Amino acid sequence: MIELPGEPGSRCSRCALSAAFPSITFDEHGVCSFCRDKMVVTSDASAVERAKQQVTTLFAQRARPYDAIMCNSGGKDSSYTLQLAVEKYGLRVLSFTMDNGFVSPTARENIERVVDTLGVDHITVRPSSRFYKKVIKATALLPLYQEQTLRRISAGCNACISLVNTMALKLALEKGAPLILAGFTLGQIPANAIIYRNHFKFFQESRKDSLDRLRAAVGSEVDEYYGVSDAVLDRVESYPYNVNLLCLEEITEDEIVARVEKLGWRRPTDVDGCSSNCQLNTFNNYVHERKYGFNPYELELSHLIRKGLMTRDEALAKIADQPLKDLHMLAHKLELSEDERSALGLPSACGSSRASNVEPEA
Amino acid sequence: MESEVLRVRALLLGFVIRSFNVTEGDVRLDESLIDQGIIDSFGLVELTAFIEKELKVVVRDADMTRESFGSLDKMAKFVVGRQRGER
Repeated sequence: MIELPGEPGSRCSRCALSAAFPSITFDEHGVCSFCRDKMVVTSDASAVERAKQQVTTLFAQRARPYDAIMCNSGGKDSSYTLQLAVEKYGLRVLSFTMDNGFVSPTARENIERVVDTLGVDHITVRPSSRFYKKVIKATALLPLYQEQTLRRISAGCNACISLVNTMALKLALEKGAPLILAGFTLGQIPANAIIYRNHFKFFQESRKDSLDRLRAAVGSEVDEYYGVSDAVLDRVESYPYNVNLLCLEEITEDEIVARVEKLGWRRPTDVDGCSSNCQLNTFNNYVHERKYGFNPYELELSHLIRKGLMTRDEALAKIADQPLKDLHMLAHKLELSEDERSALGLPSACGSSRASNVEPEA
Repeated sequence: MESEVLRVRALLLGFVIRSFNVTEGDVRLDESLIDQGIIDSFGLVELTAFIEKELKVVVRDADMTRESFGSLDKMAKFVVGRQRGER
């Protein structure tokens, strides 16, 4: 077992994982321990098979007015998951979008077109912009989350998705919906998490330390957004299941895009190569790469490569497609101070012309 | 600690080592895996799935407490207790 020669940017010769990825090792051919199946990866076929059986059982029972709350970012994956829920599984779905203030205008239009084409109800919730910016700043500047979590997602995206999950749970409990759907793929989540019971009290404990740190940085309003009141939880008879239907499909990204385009979906041109809805992704990726030396999408994209659903070149092109010139605009929108910009290696607000030269350190 | 609990604990420890890239020496058996920074909430989901699939124990909502899942020692006792119908 040898370590890959350590020049910055070294990657596995088969997948997209870089030498900086935690615990990774390489053989003499430059093949990583994930590709050699020496480390547990998320492509557990038996877990997928088990999830398919669970879906059959779970979806046999229907609820009113909604079977499911669908976390709809407006991206291609959640758009396709919504289509699967409605057309393949026949679920009555309430589509839900959390507008974080950085949603691409094209993604907003996509949400409207797709829900209208599929004929589902939809609501958008927009948390306080002041609060949300403080959260993202805290994720960029402070160590809030565990290393395990940050192997598959950036800190900023994790904070955002936790907020989405909490809002979706509140909505599901309010509406009596037994399912919460999301468009995650294997690689973004472990195979055993394709379907799981959203037991809030239990998971809340696992998030306590990170929430304490976030509260210390942002303030007590964290509890309003990331918490569910005891009055609500005490009335819960059965927690909903979180289901990630896309993990059950063997489908390429191009095929997904082709299907959702028939629903009126259009690819945004103002986001990076790893996102199809959120402009803030560029900032979150930049912060993650600079801090840890690898892109937060490497695990997911490498999984797709191993499954034959994406080529290595396509994956590397997505990772390289980062509109770093947008970082200045994003830093301005996040209202980063000069000290905060400096801490993140971003140009001064007075030197916007240098923004195009920003590169991740690693 | 009785032998069956030790056996189950070894199985759980093996799963944790394989799944979360830690060594045996990294894991304190009497402390929460979350508090030790070894697993996150998805890790809990994975451990629960392992217990249900490999150890044939159904984990109910009411089981998901720090008392049952607060450490590998507690998880092993919970699993053996449930297998014996004590819980």
